[in-house]
Amino acid sequence: MIVTFPHMGTLHIVLKALLTALGVRAAPPPPVSKTTLEIGARYSPETACLPFKTTLGNFIQALGAGADTILTCGGEGPCRLGYYATVQRDILRDLGYKFAMIVIEPDIASVWQALRRLTPGGLRPVWPAFRLAGAKLRALDAIEQTACRARPRAAVTAAVDAARLSALAAVDAAATPAAAAGAAAALLRRLETLPVGDGPEPLRVGLVGEIYVMLECGVNGDLVRRLGQMGVEVHPTMLLGDYVGAHILRDRAALRRSAAVVAAAAPFLGHYVGGHGIKSVGHTAAMGQTGFDGIIHVFPFTCMPEVIAKNILPGVSEKAGIPVLSLAFDEQTGEAGTVTRLEAFVDLLRYRSRKGFLQASKNPAKNCECDQYHCWPSCPRI
Amino acid sequence: MPPTVGIPRGLLYHYYGDIWSAFFRRLGAIPAVSPETTRAVIEAGNCIDEVCLPVKAFFGHARALADKVDLLFLPRVVSVAAGHYSCPKIIGLPDIMRAAFPGGPPLIAPTVDLRTGRGSLLRAITGVGGTLGRSPLYSLYAWQRAWRECRRPYTAAVGAADLPRVALVGHPYILRDRQISMDVTGKLAAMGVDVLTADRVDPRAADQAAAALPKNIFWHYCRRLAGAALAFLGASPPPAGMIFLTSFACGPDSLVGEQLRRQAGHRGVPFLLLALDEHTAEAGLVTRLEAFTDMLPRRRP
Ligand code: SF4
Repeated sequence: MIVTFPHMGTLHIVLKALLTALGVRAAPPPPVSKTTLEIGARYSPETACLPFKTTLGNFIQALGAGADTILTCGGEGPCRLGYYATVQRDILRDLGYKFAMIVIEPDIASVWQALRRLTPGGLRPVWPAFRLAGAKLRALDAIEQTACRARPRAAVTAAVDAARLSALAAVDAAATPAAAAGAAAALLRRLETLPVGDGPEPLRVGLVGEIYVMLECGVNGDLVRRLGQMGVEVHPTMLLGDYVGAHILRDRAALRRSAAVVAAAAPFLGHYVGGHGIKSVGHTAAMGQTGFDGIIHVFPFTCMPEVIAKNILPGVSEKAGIPVLSLAFDEQTGEAGTVTRLEAFVDLLRYRSRKGFLQASKNPAKNCECDQYHCWPSCPRI
Repeated sequence: MPPTVGIPRGLLYHYYGDIWSAFFRRLGAIPAVSPETTRAVIEAGNCIDEVCLPVKAFFGHARALADKVDLLFLPRVVSVAAGHYSCPKIIGLPDIMRAAFPGGPPLIAPTVDLRTGRGSLLRAITGVGGTLGRSPLYSLYAWQRAWRECRRPYTAAVGAADLPRVALVGHPYILRDRQISMDVTGKLAAMGVDVLTADRVDPRAADQAAAALPKNIFWHYCRRLAGAALAFLGASPPPAGMIFLTSFACGPDSLVGEQLRRQAGHRGVPFLLLALDEHTAEAGLVTRLEAFTDMLPRRRP
């Protein structure tokens, strides 16, 4: 059994660790590239959304490279994600691939079933495997946060990127939870010694929207890194850990954070609309009160929950007094176009910040909601 | 003077519109349904970004009613059965309305979410009645009567036997709206085919057919539509062809349509997918329909 799975940011590092520790051979697809998108789009229904096409491309590439089992997620609406696997399986079968598909539905029974299939040798390795995967997950999230904070301040952004990549490699190679945590800590130490640039104070921008496009730099034009280069400290409102925490483990802290965001969205969007639509609205409303300079809202073209959010966000932007840029991505989205729009937006934010639009609220000590916005380690309350 | 309640002629109106009107009449209000969709209606709804044609049309209707009515009825239908959902855009309707047309009349926007029982429907009914100054008991009674009045029992209709039969699959708010569908139904009939639509399928048969799919289609209205399509495909003989009429940017249809295309392919039934938007040219549409019907066998053995 050679197991593959869809890409989403650095998730492959976690899944690889998990599967390997369970005693299964893991074969992640090649990183998401133009080719992945082309292949995926060629065999997908034309109006399917971008993550559908990209992950189908992942599967085709991985099956071509020798994988024989696909591990992926299911779901129960109303967003399309829950129906991806069913349709993708049919498409792949009709293309002539021979493979098994393990679909994890978001309930304990299904997770359990998948586990049984993935651990033919017994359940003994399960606990250590999950501990290692969990540690890597936390380390990866910490690395992204640290890099987001360091990029706009560093004299040479490329140095941050290089440090981040080597930290990712170290997490990937880590054999114990302690080693994974160590890699994240080492990155922090390394970044502290990097020379600081003399640019203006970084802008703080919240990144909201659909999780896949937010995390997968192969489809978002490497947005986070580019913004960092432009002197923006990006605060992604969704990290890998949030996804796993809220959707699979349903842990308390993640659920409490979700509830707070839903409450902030309530005046504008009164009901869950699938996916992360309500969070996009809620985070935008809340971040407007928390000293952020702007919001970037990203989503796959035709994504239903986010299209709703997009139509609501102009009002939120006005009420909360925070500029919002909505960006839809599909397989035709050119990088050049994205960069131009980002630059124009950043210019606008710089102008506003020079004019002192934010003076009243730009006091993180007073307004920071630590556990909400991942502002570690800048937050004075920690 | 009893209040007028505007009911936009779009989306779920095409399922429940008669019941809604009857309900409001029994509650002592004057239901005002917007007239049929026109180009101008779609234009007016065009200020909603990146949505499908039916949603644009819906907001066009809502806007047309806005200055003529005292209240606007825009229910939030989250789910009408356990394990089922509406399309996210249907769930978000009242919020989009408030955001896009802040100056509009007050909304009657009850939430109906039947995933965990009928309680929410009862609350919605009594809530709407309460807004119009009626007691809960009376409101429930009014709904019950309205429901009885408008329920149409299913009767199997038979078509002309010697015409090629084409199954036309699509949401009622596309098929029944002549502007949105560009009257595909009428055009097909004029081309000499017997058009089969979902109301020619026994609802129970459709439900069974949908249940046979490898995964429950959790969008209720898509599930219905897919069930009818599968029931057609499973009949012997199957129809001579199948046309799936959808709207660009329709999320659920993009995946369900793909499933149906494959199912039709497995049974050797020619399949045509027509995705409409406000730029669809009538001439091109006719050409595609003609090309499709021309290749159908005129008479099956
Ligand atoms: S089901 Fe499709 S056509 Fe209907 S409202 Fe949703 S996206 Fe639009």
